[in-house]
Amino acid sequence: MREETGRPMSKLATRLRRAVAPVAGIAASALLALGPSTSTAHHAFGAEFDPNRPLILRGPVTKIEWVNPHAWIHLEVTNNDGGKESWMVEGGTPNTLLRRGLTRHTLKIGTEIIVDGYQSKDRSNRANGRDITFTDGRKIFMGSSGTGAPKDGRDPTAR
Amino acid sequence: MKCIKTSVTLLLSAGAMCALWAQAAEFPRTADGKPDFSGFYDIATITPLQRPEFLGDRKFISAEEAEEARSRVAARKSEGDKTSDPERDAPPDGGDGSPGAAGNVGGYNSFWIDNGDDTNQVNGEFRTSIIVEPANGRRPKFTKATQAKRTKRRSNYRKNSGTAWWLERDEAGPYDNPEQRPLAERCLLGFGSTSGPPMLPVLYNNVKQIVQTPKHVMILNEMVHDARVIRMDDKHLPDTIRSYMGDSIGHWEGDTLVVDTSNFNDRPGLSGASSSLHVVERFQAATDGTLLYSFTVNDDTIWEGAWSGEYSWPKTDSVVFEYACHEGNYALGNIMRGARILEQDVLTGKGGDE
Repeated sequence: MREETGRPMSKLATRLRRAVAPVAGIAASALLALGPSTSTAHHAFGAEFDPNRPLILRGPVTKIEWVNPHAWIHLEVTNNDGGKESWMVEGGTPNTLLRRGLTRHTLKIGTEIIVDGYQSKDRSNRANGRDITFTDGRKIFMGSSGTGAPKDGRDPTAR
Repeated sequence: MKCIKTSVTLLLSAGAMCALWAQAAEFPRTADGKPDFSGFYDIATITPLQRPEFLGDRKFISAEEAEEARSRVAARKSEGDKTSDPERDAPPDGGDGSPGAAGNVGGYNSFWIDNGDDTNQVNGEFRTSIIVEPANGRRPKFTKATQAKRTKRRSNYRKNSGTAWWLERDEAGPYDNPEQRPLAERCLLGFGSTSGPPMLPVLYNNVKQIVQTPKHVMILNEMVHDARVIRMDDKHLPDTIRSYMGDSIGHWEGDTLVVDTSNFNDRPGLSGASSSLHVVERFQAATDGTLLYSFTVNDDTIWEGAWSGEYSWPKTDSVVFEYACHEGNYALGNIMRGARILEQDVLTGKGGDE
């Protein structure tokens, strides 16, 4: 799926996802359930990926790099001309999944997946794996808490 | 009557002795008679470092409220497991509005995240913050000089627009040199003061390993495999020798391990702190079999007063996994190359499309 720009197809959406702000009167348990205030991340996704280059990728998994600080899942995408392109998408630390008994072999090579995210600013075939699912929409791994929004208070470009 | 009182006192004393015995059973003694804290701990918790302001001085919540918080966390995780639309399109052009380090591009699925399920429990209390002093559970105010610096720094913050906005200014850009980038991004130190001191819970990689000998105590942090080596009964290094995690020396006060750390360089792991940072940590067996970790932070160039915190470190059957951060750190290269390309767009007037 490609546009004339050579990028995988993007579509303007009108709905913006908004952060849920705490409001006065909310239960103590609700505020605590927001998680540690020290939530940060290895790096700012805002520094690496381009908000003007949204994309959706579909294709079979070709390789899994089960590495720190972030795992990378490779897939082969077929463009409108029938050509094949290799893409790689960034996930989180594999240690979290290892601790749940999930390894790089849990996701088999050749499995068809769908990834939505944004292309990296260096315009190589790399993107963040904003949402990685099987072709029926199920998450490729379970035990999640929504699309991640890690915060890194140290990076001025992330504000 | 006196007899009854004595019996009650004896019973309570016996109870206390049993509790102490149970503690000792959780932590065997070393050959030199100290509690042996060697082992693995998972310090993830939903208790935040700073207490939500509306709770004021309320240090803990009830067991029912803690259960409710647990349920809310579990519900949020279940929400994230829901099936997505297989026919979905690409996310919005111009960004999805996501905050923080998700930087307007949405981060990644949070099945990668492992930041705890429960409120931290200390002495039977479900704590509302790790900070316990000041009494409002929040760090003291920044000094005036620090406030001014932070205000200036904030004026340089920008939402991720996918443009080289920094070229509009006369100052250095945030991507001019890899050494300007955050320590975590460079795989030099885990983020969020995970390695400390003080050591704090973060988004994932929260497992610690303690190895204890009479002369040294080593604490291995999973993230970025930072190892703290604490010399027992020694003096601090000369003032000119400084590092990210500082110089740590330890001693025993009864069954409490006390660790004193100074000699930080100008970028300690603790956000906002300076080379004047001084941290004292205490490790002791708690009555519930966990390790009670407490600390006091003092950096009078940054905060108007000292602040202290405490939280339990439960033992875990898990281990510290290998990290090897540099080998897989494609992000730093992507970030630096991306910045050069965005700058070229501005300089050549291309505006971003090939």
